[in-house]
Amino acid sequence: MAEPSYPAGAHDYASDAEELNRLEAAMDETPRGAVIVSAVAVGLLLFGWLFLYFFVFLPRGTVG
Amino acid sequence: MAINESAILKSELRWAMIVGGIVAIILIAILYAAIAMHVNPPSNREYVDPKTLHLSAEFTEANLGTRVDPDGHIVARVIATQFEFVPNCFVLPANRDVTIRLTSPDVIHGILVTGTNVNTMVVPGYVAQVHTMFTKTGDLLMPCHEFCGLGHSQMLATVRVVPPGQFHPGPDGRIACGDRR
Repeated sequence: MAEPSYPAGAHDYASDAEELNRLEAAMDETPRGAVIVSAVAVGLLLFGWLFLYFFVFLPRGTVG
Repeated sequence: MAINESAILKSELRWAMIVGGIVAIILIAILYAAIAMHVNPPSNREYVDPKTLHLSAEFTEANLGTRVDPDGHIVARVIATQFEFVPNCFVLPANRDVTIRLTSPDVIHGILVTGTNVNTMVVPGYVAQVHTMFTKTGDLLMPCHEFCGLGHSQMLATVRVVPPGQFHPGPDGRIACGDRR
């Protein structure tokens, strides 16, 4: 994408606002994906822990 | 807009609740096993002089191996030393409460019995004690699992778990791997 050109010293506030809107729109969607990824990762960890605990550790018998 | 401070706070609180729930599930599982099924880390604080094990009442050579006490309690006593277990095979019955007591005269060793939760360190000066109940019969391998020197990898013992009907100790309450009764 070509860089917008404006005179030296001037600041393009309109472009800033547009950029901010685009950022907010992106951030509006991004956390949903992050939540799904973390939920799957944490769910797999919990499932793995429970599986090993109930199907490997406990069947190995009492100890103390 | 989803991304503002209150939305972030809300999602963090939601995650905190989920994580709190997961920790609670794990704690309940551990407490259930500890209280209802007696699955606990072996913990026994008992001292013994490692220099005079051979003179001690309990760990003299003649007293090692499996013995059924007069009260019916089955105890196997084993010495872990560089680089062998004495005795290197001992017999225990399946489906009965048994106790394994170990100590070391030299360096730190460790034992586990394959396929079971029996697992403890054997530290000179202390008696390691594990209560368990074996549910499967057969020869179970008991290796040293704490590096104890050059011969560590050769340091193995066998736990011979026999059906209760084949567990016949002699009149002195003793039973060894070589016994044929």
